[in-house]
Amino acid sequence: MPEHAAPLLRPPRHRVDPRARHWWTAQALLTLSGPMLLVALVMAVLSLLFFPGALPWLGPLLLVVLVLPAVGYLVVMPRWRYAVHAWELGERAVYAAGGWFWQKRRIAPLTRVQTVDTVRGPLQRRYGLATVTVTTASTAGDIKIAGLSDADAEELSRRIGEAAQDVSGDAT
Amino acid sequence: MSTPHEPSAPDGVDRDIPDAASGAPTTTSATSSATSSAAPTTASSAPLPGTGQWQRLDPRTLLVHCGWMAAPLGSLALTALATGGRITAQAWITLAAIAASFAVVTTIGLIRWARTEFRVTLPGGPDGTGTGTSGGHGHASPTLEVRSGLLTRRLRTVPLHRIRTVDLTASPLHRLLGVTVLRAGTAGSGDGRSELSLEALTVADAERLRAELLAYADAEAAANDPVVARISWRWLRYAPLTFWVIGGVFVAAGSAYRVLDGIGIEPWKLGFVQRAFTEFGASALWLTVPAALLVVLALGSVGAVALYVENWFHYCLDWTDARTLRVRRGLFTTRSVTIERARLRGVLLREPLLLRAGGGALVRAVAGGLGNREENRKRSGLLPPAPRPEALRVAGGALRSPFPGSGSPAALAPHPRIALRPRRVRGLLWAVLPGTAVLAGLGAAFTPVLLHCAWVYAVVTTALVLWLARDAYRNLGHGVEGPYLVARSGTFSRDTLALQREAISAWTFSTSPFTRRSGLVTLTAAVAAGEDGYRIPDLAAAEAPAFAAMAAPGILEEFLTYPEAPDHLPGQRLP
Repeated sequence: MPEHAAPLLRPPRHRVDPRARHWWTAQALLTLSGPMLLVALVMAVLSLLFFPGALPWLGPLLLVVLVLPAVGYLVVMPRWRYAVHAWELGERAVYAAGGWFWQKRRIAPLTRVQTVDTVRGPLQRRYGLATVTVTTASTAGDIKIAGLSDADAEELSRRIGEAAQDVSGDAT
Repeated sequence: MSTPHEPSAPDGVDRDIPDAASGAPTTTSATSSATSSAAPTTASSAPLPGTGQWQRLDPRTLLVHCGWMAAPLGSLALTALATGGRITAQAWITLAAIAASFAVVTTIGLIRWARTEFRVTLPGGPDGTGTGTSGGHGHASPTLEVRSGLLTRRLRTVPLHRIRTVDLTASPLHRLLGVTVLRAGTAGSGDGRSELSLEALTVADAERLRAELLAYADAEAAANDPVVARISWRWLRYAPLTFWVIGGVFVAAGSAYRVLDGIGIEPWKLGFVQRAFTEFGASALWLTVPAALLVVLALGSVGAVALYVENWFHYCLDWTDARTLRVRRGLFTTRSVTIERARLRGVLLREPLLLRAGGGALVRAVAGGLGNREENRKRSGLLPPAPRPEALRVAGGALRSPFPGSGSPAALAPHPRIALRPRRVRGLLWAVLPGTAVLAGLGAAFTPVLLHCAWVYAVVTTALVLWLARDAYRNLGHGVEGPYLVARSGTFSRDTLALQREAISAWTFSTSPFTRRSGLVTLTAAVAAGEDGYRIPDLAAAEAPAFAAMAAPGILEEFLTYPEAPDHLPGQRLP
């Protein structure tokens, strides 16, 4: 290692597909934000119909506990994720960054790659996206790149597969 | 049925097999060319290693299947006792159900036993050793084959050089019958698919098979002193310093309650229990509460010592040959775990809080092929709680080099001071705040006594949390020593890890908004062994990439940039 300065780990070069933001938004709507907003709406309507007296305190409570977090998650998470998620296939290693609040950058050398899986969930298919998972012998070394476009995913898995084939042994 | 074919003389197959397992009547000089006349109705006619004949498991396995009857029959007997001999209709139904399921299980066991066969095939020897079955296909390398199944025939083939560990485990019932279960594990994530188990073989056969399975490598000369450690009963004083002192009592009470509940007795309705409780409430609390605590502690200590003895009786850690580390232990259930040296990727020195206070430590192996997480936890123990110097010695013996980081704590690079903050915040947030809030809330609602409890609790736990946080921070350290990466962290269990640098197969940098602001990062080294990922928490973000590149070269160099010369990438090539 050269001693002149502490090196930095730069972010990976390639961003994921811009459509991934829509996919993450849809995911948020289906899993967390949608149900929360629905619950808030139902409670507000019920309160309007049956307990109008409760609205002055129930309204703000619902707003703070359910509506604001749900909307915040819906707006912030996809953008933040898109800013973080990136990938790069180097000469000797795969490098991927992921997460949003808790972020992870993982680098695994191609010599340790065991399999490359491309997965398309029903939601992802609608947006023409795919997730590439590169597994190694250790679960702590598996690299997951979510939100690639179909073409990129195909190309990437093909190239990783080719690069990893040159290596013999059981890659542990 | 396997087709008979003439057994061959052992053509140097059992070369250099170390005399296995003292105490087991093994005869490695297997020259008795006993024709295992391919009708293995009388099993335990010990087949020769390397005859390539299909062999059956030991028929005594069938008796082992009766073992599960003990629990229902025991509970039935207990019911009979509890009800004074009057066996109710329900009990008769239970008995019938037991009988029926016994028939089913025995049948299944019989079928499984009859249809399970195994053999070790050798590549064609000079005198025609090898696969001689009908349609046998010669393997390029020696393999272990196991075929099983009644309708769906399965044939599993494992090349011997893929086998990483061979364990012999015998429950008390197995030992009574003189048999043992052999498990051969290969590399892999240990989800059960990577393991072959033969249940059960006679002890002598199993020992011989194990020696044979592990004989396939360049057997070097064994070390001068192959025995690394033996049990010393002076270590028993460390047994009460484990979790089981408190936890064990509750676990035991819980299981007792479950058993009683299962046979229809409600413990709370028993006379003496109720009497005890009413008396307990009526007498002087400042005497009875400490007394009860003392009783729990005493019971727990007794239990912990008993567990220690059961687990570690006859403990012996030795190198059976230059490349196989073996742990043997156990009083009722004997366990014997073998770890191939190539799969031993490192050693973990654990010092749980109590044990550390008593100057003790325990040692675990970081090895591949020990099975899934649970199995890995059970099998990776190299040393029970013992004096710290002994633990360091054993760790060094397992690594075949002095345990790195065993020197002064200063040998490891400390982490930035700011790493103390998240530890304090976490403690205050999760321990001090909720308890104080609950007590204060209850106090405001019901009785002022609880308000006093609240502030006392807050003061005491804050002091404790600050002390623990400081300890946690001071335990943080990382470094590189020779071929090992050394990392230390943890307060409730201070873990010092020595990991082979070449075993690291990936690096992960994890951050949260808080650590990003404080300029910290958590590094995770991925290895295909042990727990898979080993964390080095809260390094300085500025130093982490350089450290990772230095500790395990050839992974992340191409993604580094140097602040002064952003275009210049280090032209490092793999050695």
